[in-house]
Amino acid sequence: MTDQLLPAWSEPFVGARRDALRHLPPFGALDRGWAIGGSDGSGVTVAIIDSGVERDHPAVGGKLVRSVKVELAANPDDDPVVLDDDDALDVVGHGTACAGIIHAIAPGADLVSVRVLGPDNRGKGIVFAAGLDWAIEHGAGVMNLSLSSKSDALFGLFHDLADRAYFANALLVCAANNVPGNSYPSLFASVVSVAAHDLPDPAAWFYNPRPPVEFGAHGLDVDVAWRSGSRMTATGNSFAAPHIAGYAALIRAKHPEVTPFEVKAILAATATRPLA
Amino acid sequence: MTDAGTGPRRRTPAFDRDARAALAAVGRRAEIARRLELGGAEAVLRSVVEAAVALFEAEAASIALYEPARNLLVFRVAAGEQGQGVVGLEIAPDRGLVGYVFSSGQALAIADVQADPRFGRNFAEQTQYVPRSIVAVPLLDERGTLGVLEVLDKRSEASFSLRDIELAGVFARQATVAIRASRVERDAATLLRSVIGALTGGEAPDGGVEALVTAALADVDDPDDPLWPLVEQIAALRRVAPEQRELLGSLLDVLVRQAERGRGRRAGRLRAPGG
Repeated sequence: MTDQLLPAWSEPFVGARRDALRHLPPFGALDRGWAIGGSDGSGVTVAIIDSGVERDHPAVGGKLVRSVKVELAANPDDDPVVLDDDDALDVVGHGTACAGIIHAIAPGADLVSVRVLGPDNRGKGIVFAAGLDWAIEHGAGVMNLSLSSKSDALFGLFHDLADRAYFANALLVCAANNVPGNSYPSLFASVVSVAAHDLPDPAAWFYNPRPPVEFGAHGLDVDVAWRSGSRMTATGNSFAAPHIAGYAALIRAKHPEVTPFEVKAILAATATRPLA
Repeated sequence: MTDAGTGPRRRTPAFDRDARAALAAVGRRAEIARRLELGGAEAVLRSVVEAAVALFEAEAASIALYEPARNLLVFRVAAGEQGQGVVGLEIAPDRGLVGYVFSSGQALAIADVQADPRFGRNFAEQTQYVPRSIVAVPLLDERGTLGVLEVLDKRSEASFSLRDIELAGVFARQATVAIRASRVERDAATLLRSVIGALTGGEAPDGGVEALVTAALADVDDPDDPLWPLVEQIAALRRVAPEQRELLGSLLDVLVRQAERGRGRRAGRLRAPGG
């Protein structure tokens, strides 16, 4: 691999490179039994900011408690509007895939779909930000994001939203975007950024002490829910993020007092040990 | 301005008509420039998809570019035995895997595509080829997403690996650089919005900026306009080898002179009966 191939956010989590993640966590007594043992995510709301979630998909287990869509206002100078999406559609299948992964790990967690992909592609960064804003305001404890913006004009807006989420006790879990340059909010320090590892194990996640991408989770050949009640095999960082979102929901359900940075620390402390 | 009274300037119908005609002309020129420049980039894009097919040993690879004026992703180039049927196809930017990759900026790979009775199937059937596995990566740089590169069916494997996604991303970056390097103001709608914004000092005229932009671009995409085949041909001429350009230029000169003579004769005939 040459430098031109970078950034490859999965690199630290793949093959022999993974061995270099050995790191002495300063949390001797923490283990997964303490962190998530017996937890099913009950009481935690996870927002999926994506292409929508198919309410009736078996993989969602009837846990979709609300579905909204964000659209640009008729007047481009006005803020985007958030509308109830009673049909709970997923025009792609991707949001349903994320919901299915989260539900498989945290079957007790309530799921909320915030659909930010629509037919109008103009101002999609603004729509995405408005969806994030809505989820923070409506009490999501964990938010799963596969989208990000590269627009420098939106840096301030997303930075503000990431801070607001952090101070509102909401954990942002973002799929890393394998593209050079900035990517907001997935590369902000307060979020949990996730890339895919190459093991066929949904219960394995790794902590990378050398950010920006701090966590590696199952993202290769993942059996996922897709639209129209179907399933398929999919690969990408955006399927790794909902695994971490699911485990974060388990932690938050079992330890309601922990804050976003503590959830991150627990995820790091209980990460799969390389060469374990 | 005929109204010398106080208060905001009032626009006259004649001014409106002239302004709209001027905007339409700006939009048309931007579209011509875009098509000419894209012609140059397409040669590079074609070599990118050809290289992708060869390297992945894939059945097909293609690039879809976003057309902002029409809010559509249009497949511009393709390679591979199973790839050609896709060229010219258009999809909404929020539909299917390609739409998702474009809208989210996230690279994805999927296998067992046919497991979904509807996903991508109608579209795939239009291309006469239904893939088993797809990797799709955004054409993304610091300024935004231009389109999507997709590679279909690696012959040696049932699905694409993380490394394949990385590699496809490298091809996508090459394509992005090629497009950026050749692009003038690609998006006529964006150009018009900024022109109108500058003219009105940010104060939207009656009916809104979007209505003006839509009106100005109404005729630009008319597929029957004889201008566009000409533009496409000129774009194709720009792609030929430099040593051939001189010859082609001379041939064009001859054609233009012939056309002018023909027009003169027709005009003469038309004038003749009257005097």
